Amino acid sequence: MTRLSPANVSSLGLCLLLFLFLLPTLCVAADSCSTGACHADMSGVKFGHMPVADGECSSCHEQILEAHPVAEGKSFRLVEQGAALCYQCHDSYGKMLTVHPPVADGECTFCHNPHGSNAGPKLLPVADDLKELCTQCHDEGMFNQQFVHGPAASGACTQCHNPHQANQPRLLKKSVRNTCTGCHTDIGDGLATAPVIHAAVEEASCLTCHNPHSAPAAKLLQKDVESVCLECHGDVGRKAQRAKVKHAALYREEKCTGCHTAHFSNNDGLLFLKEQDVCFTCHGKNDYHKSNALKNIAAQVEGKPYLHGPLEDGQCSACHQPHGSDYFRMLNGPYPETFYYPYTSGSYDFCLGCHDSNMLRFESTSIYTEFRNGKQNLHFLHVANQYKGRTCRACHEPHASNIDKLMNEVGAEFGEWNVPVRFNKTETGGSCSPGCHQNYAYDRENPVSYER
Amino acid sequence: MKGLFLLMKACLAIVLLVLVCGCMAPQAKQEKKLDPVFFPPAPDPPRIQFLLSIGNSLDVEGREVETSLFAVKPVENRRARSLLKPFGVALHGDLIYVADSLIGRVAVINLREKSFEWLKGDERGGKLQKPLNLTTDAEGNLYVADVGRNRILVYDAAGNFTSILGDGYDIEPVDVAVDERHVYVLDRNSSQILVLRKRDGELVEGLGQGRENLYENLWLPTTMTLSDRGVFYVANAGTGMIIQIDRDGNFLSSLGKMGDRPGQFARPRGVALDSDGRLYVVDAGHQNVQMFNKDNRLLMHFGDPGVSRGYLNVPAGIAVSNENLDLYQQYAEPNFKLEQVIFVISQIQPFHLNIYGLGKKTDFDYEGYYRKTEELRQQEAGDAGTEDGK
Repeated sequence: MTRLSPANVSSLGLCLLLFLFLLPTLCVAADSCSTGACHADMSGVKFGHMPVADGECSSCHEQILEAHPVAEGKSFRLVEQGAALCYQCHDSYGKMLTVHPPVADGECTFCHNPHGSNAGPKLLPVADDLKELCTQCHDEGMFNQQFVHGPAASGACTQCHNPHQANQPRLLKKSVRNTCTGCHTDIGDGLATAPVIHAAVEEASCLTCHNPHSAPAAKLLQKDVESVCLECHGDVGRKAQRAKVKHAALYREEKCTGCHTAHFSNNDGLLFLKEQDVCFTCHGKNDYHKSNALKNIAAQVEGKPYLHGPLEDGQCSACHQPHGSDYFRMLNGPYPETFYYPYTSGSYDFCLGCHDSNMLRFESTSIYTEFRNGKQNLHFLHVANQYKGRTCRACHEPHASNIDKLMNEVGAEFGEWNVPVRFNKTETGGSCSPGCHQNYAYDRENPVSYER
Repeated sequence: MKGLFLLMKACLAIVLLVLVCGCMAPQAKQEKKLDPVFFPPAPDPPRIQFLLSIGNSLDVEGREVETSLFAVKPVENRRARSLLKPFGVALHGDLIYVADSLIGRVAVINLREKSFEWLKGDERGGKLQKPLNLTTDAEGNLYVADVGRNRILVYDAAGNFTSILGDGYDIEPVDVAVDERHVYVLDRNSSQILVLRKRDGELVEGLGQGRENLYENLWLPTTMTLSDRGVFYVANAGTGMIIQIDRDGNFLSSLGKMGDRPGQFARPRGVALDSDGRLYVVDAGHQNVQMFNKDNRLLMHFGDPGVSRGYLNVPAGIAVSNENLDLYQQYAEPNFKLEQVIFVISQIQPFHLNIYGLGKKTDFDYEGYYRKTEELRQQEAGDAGTEDGK
C-alpha cells in the first residue's frame, strides 16, 4: 500500500475545499426541469429543441404559481399562444399566396414536437420519409396506386412542396412545369429548344396528363396512354373507331406513342421522326415472317428519280390517313380496290382531288391529258370504258418510278402475274406493249390510225 | 405734253405685257383632290377602289388651258378626241385598246406616256365599221370583232392592218379570243364559238351547241373570255347564264341565271378572268360587275348604277390585269395596295373607261375580319337552327 506524503495530503485537502466551495453553484446549473425526476423524458432526445437542450425552459414557459407541481391546475403557462410562441425565435409564415392550413392556424405542433424528436430532424416525429406524417391529414390513397412517383414513394414530399408556405398553388416551391423539369432536365431542355411543343404542355401543365404522386398507368399517366390522348383528341379516336380500314399501328402496345412524342418534337404533329421516316419504321423493311406482310415502301422509293408529288415533300399523309380511313389502303378518298373499275363520278375522287377530273370526263380533249391520240383521250378510253375500265395502278406506280409519269416498270399486280406496261415516250406521244394488248402508239400532233 | 406721252406709252406697254403673258402661259389645270370611292362601302373593309376614268384624249394627255384678259374662263387649247359609245376593252403591255361602236374606231391609250391615239391601221382595207370587242395575242397583235363588216380585223402591235378573218362565212362576230393555234370567233348568228385556224383563217369547227339540255348551249352570246387552260367563259343574253366550255367543246359548268338576285344576271356582257382565277361579269341590266371565285361562288359586286365617279352607266366590256401595278398605284390611296387593275367600259357618258383597283388596305387585318365574320355567320345560323327547333 502506498503511503501519502504530507505534501500530497495538503494538496488533496486544498482540492476538497475548492470542490466544497463550488458545489452549490454546480448544483444550481444542472438543476433544470428536464434533468429532474419529473420531465426527464425531455432530455437526452436525439434531435432536441435548442432551448430544451440548453435548459432554457423559461424561454417558452413562465411560472404563474409558486408551488410546483400542484395537484390541480398548472403552475406554468406558455409565454405566447400558438405560432406566436415559435415566432419569438423563428421567422413568421403566412405572407405568401399559399399557406399550409396548420401554419395558417398557428398549429405548429401538428407536425413538430416542441421539445425534440428521436425520429428525425426539424422536431418532426419522422425521419426522411415524410409520408407517415403527411398522410395524417392527406389522403393516403393518392400515393398507393400502381405506379408511384419516386419522391412520393420515398416520402420526399418536401422535394416539391414547401411545408409551410409558397407562392405557387399546392404549396409547390416552383411552377408545376419548373417543378417537374427541375429533375426531368431532358424534358426541360427539349421544351426550351424544340420547335414543336405539345399544346397540353405549352398551354396547360404536366398535370393535364400525369398524376404527380401515383397513377394507375405507366409514366404516371392518369389513364392508359390512348385514353389520355383522346381526352383532347377525341375526333381522332372517333375517326379511328369508325374507320373501315384500320391502321394496325394504333392497336399495338405503344398506341399513340408508337408515332408521336408526348412533350416536344422537331417534327410537325409531334412525330418522333420526319413523317416519311416514321412510316418507314414499319413500312421500310422486308417482313418475311408474315403471310400478309407489310410492303417495303422505302425500297420502292429509294433511288427512284420520279416521285409522286407528296412523296417529294416527304408526305405520306397527303394520300393516307394514319388514323384509319373508310377507303382502300387507308386512302383519303375513294379509289377502287379492284383492278378493273370503270370510272364513274366519285369513284376516283382520291386521285382526282389533285389531278384534273376532266381527264376522265371527256372522250375528246386537247387540254386535260397528254395521253391522247390527236384529241382522242386515251385516259378516258382506258379508265372510263364502262365494260372494262382499268384503275390507275394498272399503268402507274403510286409512289415512285424510274420512268416519267410514274409509269409502272415492273408491272402491276394482277393476281399471280405482274402485268408489264413497256411504255416508250416520244416528243409528241409514245407507245405501249403491255400485257393487255399488242403494241399501240399514239401521237398528239399527228394522230395514229388504229383502223385495220 | 412729253410726260403725258411717256405715261401713255408706259400704260400701253403694261397692257401688252399682261396680254402676252396671259396668252403665252398655258397652265396645267389643278385637279381638286376628291374623296376616294371604295367597294364594298363602309363598314365592310374595302377591296376595290375606283382609280380614274377616261372619256376623251384630254383625260389622258392632261388639260392645258390659256388665260387672257379677254376670256371669262380658261379655254382648252387642244381639241379633245372623245369616246362616244365604247363597248370592248383589251390590254397589252402599257396599251389599252377601247373599241367604240358608234364612231367605228379603236382608241389606243398609253397612260404611262400620256398618249391617246386612234388605231393607225383603221383605214382602207383595215377600216372599221362597228367594232364591238377586241383582244390581243402574246405578240401584241390586235384582233377586232366588227359587227359592221362582220369580220375579224387583225392589226400588228404597231397598229398596222395585217389581215382579215371570216371571209366566206356568214357570221356576226361579237367577240374574239386567240391562242397559239386558233382564233375563236363568238358568232351571234349561230350562237357558237367558231374555231378558225390562225395561220390561214380556215374554219375548223364550231363549239357550244348540241347539248341535250338547251341551257348548256350558247344562246345569243354577247362576250367571252378564254383562260390559260383553254376554257371559255361565255355570257349569254338569251339565258342570262355564263357557260363554261373548253376549247374542245366539252361543257364544263354554268353560272347564274336570269334574275335580279345576287349571282343572277339581267344583261350579262363583259366577262374576264384575273390571274388568281376570279371571274368578273359585267351586267348592263344591273349596271354592276359581279365577282366569283374559282368555285363559282359570288364574292362581291362593284360599280353600281349611277352617274358619279366610280359608278357605271350601261356597262359593257371588261379587262383585268396584274401588270403595271406601279403605274396605277399612284391613283390609289397610299395605304391601299393594288393586286389587280380592272378596266370597265360604260357606254353612256361621262365616264366611259372606268379603271378600278382590286387590293387591300395595308393597315387592316382582312383575314381576321373575314374569320370573325364567318364565325358570327355560323353562330347566327346555329341560333336560327335552334329557334327553328323550338
